[in-house]
Amino acid sequence: MSTTPPQYKHTELTFQVMVDASPNALILVNEKGKIAYTNAFVEKLFQYERSEIIGQEIEILIPARFKSHHPGHFNSFFKNPKARMMGVGRELYAIKKDKTEFPVEIGLNPIVTVDGNLVLASIIDISERKKAEERFRLVVESASSAMILVDKKGVIRLVNTQTEKLFRYRREELLGQKIEILIPNEIRGNHPKYRKEFSKNPEVRSMGSGRDLYAIDRDANKFPVEIGLNPIETSDGHMVLASIIDITERKKAEENSRNYTKKLENKNKELEQFTYIASHDLQEPLKSITGLSEILIEEYGDLLDQEGRDSLSFLNESTERMKELITALLNYTRLGQKSKLEQIDCNELIKAVKEDLASSISHANTSFEIDTLPTLYGYPTELRLLFQNLINNAIKFRKKERPSIVKISAQKQSKAWQFKVEDNGIGMDMKFSGKIFTIFQQLNSKEEYSGSGIGLAHCKKIAELHDGDICVESTPGEGSSFFFTISTKIK
Amino acid sequence: MKKITGLDCIILVDDDKITNFINKKVIKRADLDVAIKVNSSVTEALNYLKGMSQHPIEEYPRPGIIFLDINMPGMNGWDFIDEYKKLPEKQKKRIIIAMLTTSINPDDENAANQIPEINMYLKKPLTVEKLESTIKDYFPILN
Repeated sequence: MSTTPPQYKHTELTFQVMVDASPNALILVNEKGKIAYTNAFVEKLFQYERSEIIGQEIEILIPARFKSHHPGHFNSFFKNPKARMMGVGRELYAIKKDKTEFPVEIGLNPIVTVDGNLVLASIIDISERKKAEERFRLVVESASSAMILVDKKGVIRLVNTQTEKLFRYRREELLGQKIEILIPNEIRGNHPKYRKEFSKNPEVRSMGSGRDLYAIDRDANKFPVEIGLNPIETSDGHMVLASIIDITERKKAEENSRNYTKKLENKNKELEQFTYIASHDLQEPLKSITGLSEILIEEYGDLLDQEGRDSLSFLNESTERMKELITALLNYTRLGQKSKLEQIDCNELIKAVKEDLASSISHANTSFEIDTLPTLYGYPTELRLLFQNLINNAIKFRKKERPSIVKISAQKQSKAWQFKVEDNGIGMDMKFSGKIFTIFQQLNSKEEYSGSGIGLAHCKKIAELHDGDICVESTPGEGSSFFFTISTKIK
Repeated sequence: MKKITGLDCIILVDDDKITNFINKKVIKRADLDVAIKVNSSVTEALNYLKGMSQHPIEEYPRPGIIFLDINMPGMNGWDFIDEYKKLPEKQKKRIIIAMLTTSINPDDENAANQIPEINMYLKKPLTVEKLESTIKDYFPILN
């Protein structure tokens, strides 16, 4: 009888080559717990020569502290032999020849052979995976916001210290709990549904956009939160990393800002009311004073001496001045109200201003040097008033001894146009450079130079209306240069 | 007309000609034997004070009281005080400075109280009563 068919031998050989080439450590253990066979990778992983461990008890590869329990586990496997993972839920470690330990994952397969029952253990070194997990844990721990890792079933798997602080739970009280423990009662019911929807279409996004989100801490305090969601692939399956920020302070700030805006709106209304009072109620008695003093001059003037008549004419003068001041104040408050932004060609604007001022320009014999000016967005009426005031001032404060020249130019800055209106007039002491832009402040006496003292205050307000500013450079006796900016980002 | 010892002249420093007109009338109504000098700017007032030593006393009578406005074009009342501080002690010893203002800003009054050169802080308008009480406080009347 011919023995051992050659084909069988061939199959066995192929099997051995395959097992040997496997990148996993494979160990066959017999019913007595002795190592019957190892593949080449076992030598690499455990640093033993194959000949050193074959025939040894399997416990040689197990750290001392686990050794005593192992025979029990081993025997129960053989009572109910089926393919499964070893020690589910426990952390498994193996030990090398040099006594270094390393974390492992072990798959078990019962094998029935002519030599008896064996178990094939497939061992994977998970050091790298553990290291990666540790790195991940450290990153989460060091985050400045509360971070919670939740698995597919909604169970909390990882939290950081910020989470403990924010929710007032200790770490061990949260791990293993459903995430719904941190959600207020009234919205808790819907949450599992939202969770399922997210896991169907996992993507990095913020939770509940448009809805106000609230969380609840250990003491049942409810607080507003913002939550970012990150789907994460882990060795334990799909999970979601939620990053939670307490926005109580922000909400408070928003509320404050809303209140502030409301107060401001009320103030503005009051100011409008004030404007109305100024225009009507204050003007009315002034008109009466003017009328009455006219009656006194015309009908009783002859009865008065010179001082009496002077008094009356001073009375008139004062009344007129007050009218002017009230009108100027009114115009000041009205600046920018009801104006619309438009595209303005500054060259055209200056042309129009020069036409308006034609008589005083020709009277003063003022000449102009005007560069090509930009076209920009602004409030046309106000911008025109700004140029008009500056040109008017340049003419008004000219030096009588020399022909007056006004130069206008513009320069592009990063976020604005800067205009320069330069004259060769009387100039001024720079110590007054701040004062001149304040309402009703004048440098020269009313007798010398008439005016209400509001022109430059207007200019400042108009520049500010265009998100800009105004300043002056001046040398007494030589002239002044006014610089103002108009933002290119004005909206 | 009453002659007050040490009060030969009152200086009014105010840019507003109407205020000066009214104040002159008030001083005249108080029936004092005193010269009145009107300076419509701080510069003018300082020039007067600095020029006193070079001019005969008939042209530049010695001021006993200066009524000083705060809000004036260019240099204002505060600027006047800064310059006034630089004058010789001997000259200043004989002068009472009364700030006379329409300002209702309490900061102005507080600031005035901090400055030793300012003897009084009065609200406009100047009246005979205010003038007389100033004189009573600072000048012994000799009949």
